Amino acid sequence: MRVDAQQPPWRVIRAFPREDRGVLVHLHNVSGGVLAGDDLRLNLELGAGTSALVTSTGATRLYRHRDGAQESRQEIDIQLASGALLEFLPDPLIPFANSRHTQHTSVSLADDAAFFWWETLAPGRQAMGEVFAYERLEIRNKLSTPAGPVLLENYILEPRLRPLTSHARLGHYTHMANFYACKTGLPQSRWLELEASLNELCRTRTRAGDTIWGAAALAADGVAVRGLSTSSLVLPETLTACWKLSRRLLTGKEAIPPRKVN
Amino acid sequence: MILELLHLADSALPVGAAAHSFGLETLVEDEILSPSNLAPFLQDYLGEAAPLEAGFVRRAWQGADPVLLTREFQARRIARESRDAGTKMGRRLARLVNSLLSADAIRDGLTYPVVFGLAARRMGIFEEETILAYLNQGLTGLISACQRLMPLGQVEASCLLWDLRPALRHAAERSITPEVSCFTPLLELASARHTTLETRLFIS
Repeated sequence: MRVDAQQPPWRVIRAFPREDRGVLVHLHNVSGGVLAGDDLRLNLELGAGTSALVTSTGATRLYRHRDGAQESRQEIDIQLASGALLEFLPDPLIPFANSRHTQHTSVSLADDAAFFWWETLAPGRQAMGEVFAYERLEIRNKLSTPAGPVLLENYILEPRLRPLTSHARLGHYTHMANFYACKTGLPQSRWLELEASLNELCRTRTRAGDTIWGAAALAADGVAVRGLSTSSLVLPETLTACWKLSRRLLTGKEAIPPRKVN
Repeated sequence: MILELLHLADSALPVGAAAHSFGLETLVEDEILSPSNLAPFLQDYLGEAAPLEAGFVRRAWQGADPVLLTREFQARRIARESRDAGTKMGRRLARLVNSLLSADAIRDGLTYPVVFGLAARRMGIFEEETILAYLNQGLTGLISACQRLMPLGQVEASCLLWDLRPALRHAAERSITPEVSCFTPLLELASARHTTLETRLFIS
């Protein structure tokens, strides 16, 4: 691994070698969270045939917005060369009350590249009584292959203006989790098989009213899993199970969880 | 133009829309959606998914590359059943329009919102009328699906559609925004989980 540049508040912890000849990398935010006015940029490039698992050292806390400051912003750009494999598995995002934040993630996969990614969005600091108390959260995600975009997400959450409790949005669920598995060049039939396998896994972990999961093949080159829950406690185990299943079926190799993932 | 508009906007247009609930069947099965909360649900749906779809209708009408538009729309539609429904309906609408116009006006393989925009432009329907027609047709289809899924009478359904006119117009206005926001995870999940329902009235 080579770090071309890094500036606080982010710091790249050294790369640990893994059994599959890839590396494990932790991203650490030394300030403990994202503050108003922060403009964070992360650029990841994986060369041909390389492999990495990138995770964080803790949840990303979005602190409350300060009057007069720019809203915080995070841009992640990931480039995967031919045959590269990236597992991007960060900890949850927790928007504190009155926070304002924009987050854009763009991933480009070359031929035969693979990408596994999960994200979890909490409603806030529930223990402090904060549920959907943030002011604004904008999320844009883009996954592309040489053929074009395979996943585009763009949503702006302003709970005070458009309640997230609407049945058209989250309903009574408070936590959202997403898992994506992408690999360029596989026929759609493989993705439909993976969708079916993931849906069987999701079915065993769905408790209507408490936690629901579902999987769907993307238009090409990938599959997405969505989960909604009333609690954060149950999400990590299913996300890990989806990741393990997908990695095994798509690469023929078992996932190697970093020590913090149970 | 009015006759062409009425023809294209007809909720009974033979494109297979009646076979799709776009995830509503799962929401009803899970007892999340009922006649008592259908109005606010549709109001919020018109604030989220409707402007997104109408935006693609608009861009197709304006002459954007329909193949690129279709690819972009499919990338924004994660739920496979709903995405496939759009593809099938698009194919049927393209064939219908080509037959009506006696011309190879619209190619195969495009998604429904894109084909609708192209068809309207070919038929000489103005842009804003096209958007409103598309949204009204879609909303009528969803309400019709709900009538088969829950105790919702004809008059009640008609009143529901009538009362949502302001939300529908607002959705049309928002469709001008490039890359409009859309957040409907519960509905997307319902569409994804629809494949696992034991009994189904609808294909999606």
